[in-house]
Amino acid sequence: MANIAVQRIKRELKEVLNSDEVARCSIHVELVGESFAELKGEIAGPPDTPYEGARFQLEIKIPETYPFNPPKVRFVTKIWHPNVSSVTGAICLDILKHQWAAAMTLRTVLLSLQALLASPEPDDPQDAVVARQCKDKPQIFHLTAQHWANAYAGGPSINTDYENKIRRLKDLGVTEMNARASLSSCDWDLERATEQIFS
Amino acid sequence: MSRLQVRKVRRNQTIWPTVMFTKTDHQFLDEITGKPEVKTSLNIPSNSSEFTLPVYIKAAGGKTFLIQMSRDWDVARIKMFIAPKLGLKVEDISIILAGKSLADNLLLEECDLGHNSILNAVKLKVVKKDDAIPTNEKKSGGTPFHQDKPLCETLLDLQLTEEEQKLLHKSLGCSSPEYKQKKAHFYVYCESPCKSVQNGKLRVRCSLCKAGAFTVDRDPCCWDDVLRPEQVSGTCQMEGCDHSWAEFYFKCARHPSQGEMDSTLPLYLVKSNFKHVQCLACMDISDPVLVFQCSSSHVICLECFQQYCLSRLNERRFVFSPNIGYTLPCPAGCENSLIDGTQHFKILGGEQYQRLLHFGAEEYVLSVGGVLCPQPGCGMGLLADPSCRRIQCTGGCEFVFCRDCLQGYHIDECQPNGDGNFQSMLTSTEYVVDPRRAAQAMWDADSRVTIRVTSKPCPKCRTPTERDGGCMHMICTRQQCGFHWCWVCQTEWTRECMGSHWFG
Repeated sequence: MANIAVQRIKRELKEVLNSDEVARCSIHVELVGESFAELKGEIAGPPDTPYEGARFQLEIKIPETYPFNPPKVRFVTKIWHPNVSSVTGAICLDILKHQWAAAMTLRTVLLSLQALLASPEPDDPQDAVVARQCKDKPQIFHLTAQHWANAYAGGPSINTDYENKIRRLKDLGVTEMNARASLSSCDWDLERATEQIFS
Repeated sequence: MSRLQVRKVRRNQTIWPTVMFTKTDHQFLDEITGKPEVKTSLNIPSNSSEFTLPVYIKAAGGKTFLIQMSRDWDVARIKMFIAPKLGLKVEDISIILAGKSLADNLLLEECDLGHNSILNAVKLKVVKKDDAIPTNEKKSGGTPFHQDKPLCETLLDLQLTEEEQKLLHKSLGCSSPEYKQKKAHFYVYCESPCKSVQNGKLRVRCSLCKAGAFTVDRDPCCWDDVLRPEQVSGTCQMEGCDHSWAEFYFKCARHPSQGEMDSTLPLYLVKSNFKHVQCLACMDISDPVLVFQCSSSHVICLECFQQYCLSRLNERRFVFSPNIGYTLPCPAGCENSLIDGTQHFKILGGEQYQRLLHFGAEEYVLSVGGVLCPQPGCGMGLLADPSCRRIQCTGGCEFVFCRDCLQGYHIDECQPNGDGNFQSMLTSTEYVVDPRRAAQAMWDADSRVTIRVTSKPCPKCRTPTERDGGCMHMICTRQQCGFHWCWVCQTEWTRECMGSHWFG
């Protein structure tokens, strides 16, 4: 790692750890290994969203040329959101690409991601299926996002209807993860999901 | 930007050939010329110490003496010392340094002199100033003329706004040593011998005959006065020259003067960090710093600036501006923040700065519709008739190639895999070589395979592009192209790509 990147990350860590957001347990960052090239981030789901009460883990990779190029950030925790890939966790956010500026920090990145969770932009999607649901069936989107937050990120709301449908598919030998993904993308239509899996 | 000196350079890495600009293509002050007239040895005499200072005295007739002076000498004592050598009366002699005739009671140590600095000793001309001052000079006013104080003293505040000067006075007090040190805030990049950013010294000479024996009518009051020609008038004290425009130049203050030719360019964005502003990249408080020309005046330390330039250089992301050349904006992403003095990139160091010039030249050739010779080790920039597909590397390696696929020239359509045409090149030689064996014996074959396997060409400018993660939406990294394309379709990025395979 370049000296400047290391120096900068050290200071940013201090900044984050002393911030109000950390005090409120809203965001968190810690080092992975000793190289300063990789960090683990965590953000709390913002209030009044389907993600409320859940916590999302992020993988943060610092490039050699940091802070002149953006960190590479990905959701490790699975999430149902139009701007995050439900498969890989890749994020579509301008400040992590061409809008990155050297004055931005890990703290501002995490806060921006939190803001993204609060206001999805289905017109600029990373995940087309989720985006369509978010626009066309906002009610189902809300419940699905809440269910995923419960299943993968410690969210509080349990949806027994969805749980039952997943169990039905599991009885047919489908893994829980695949069952959830298929049902979610078929708007929880059990018949269509079964067809999608076995066709 | 019209004069290109295209040079054969070893191809570095795999993809990019190199060409080179002459320095005249950049708006450097390098053009300031002048003949070195000091013929005496430039070695610092061995008996020099912190109390004595070797200084050259240059007389009107062209004679030059090296004199060991004590730092506590005043100007009157120098005059007495040299009067007999020049055959002049003491009262007729004027000692000129940096545009000013020095007062008799001024001490040498107050004069911003270094080892081997040059003082001019002349008999002052009597000029009726009312006739001599050009008309626009009368109007411009400027700061009052500080008679008999060295120019360096009156000029040091040039870089600061009035508000900043007040702040500096207030925080340090005028007489403190720290204030004096902070005041020395002209910076230059010394290419030789220091090879680093150093404090600079401002000097004046006649813009026509380049003689240092020149007195100015007023002090410069802004960077424009110093950097642009014909801003400040004065009197050339050389016999036979009655030119009246001053020319300012800078010298490195660290190394002993190597004569009047030893000038360098001022880094006017580099400033003393007396406000203790932290660097936007590493967040340290360094001194000196570079202050960007954006509305927020963002501050970066010199080490981070170097790193910033280097990363943009390696990614070929310098920006072309018709008025400036290849340059960079503030890394905080500010509007209208391009660095307008490309000499600041000399901070990168000689080797990397040369690379910047090469890349700039290449981008220029491509932007005006030219091509770069694809032959390994050549890379000549060629401006050929746009309608012509057959291009010969005239004046370079003489390779004849196809503009579209950058392979050996062929009459029929380009082969999709790129190198199918080298067989036609082989048939032109007298040896008969098995084409298959020849295909295995190509020096560059591995690179070509690697490039082909790991990259896809930008559909617009054909720049081999590697995808190291993220989505399928590609934006060509060449600043001059910037095409949005789809990694899967290898055509322009569309809504449809977004809907069906944004993520692969």
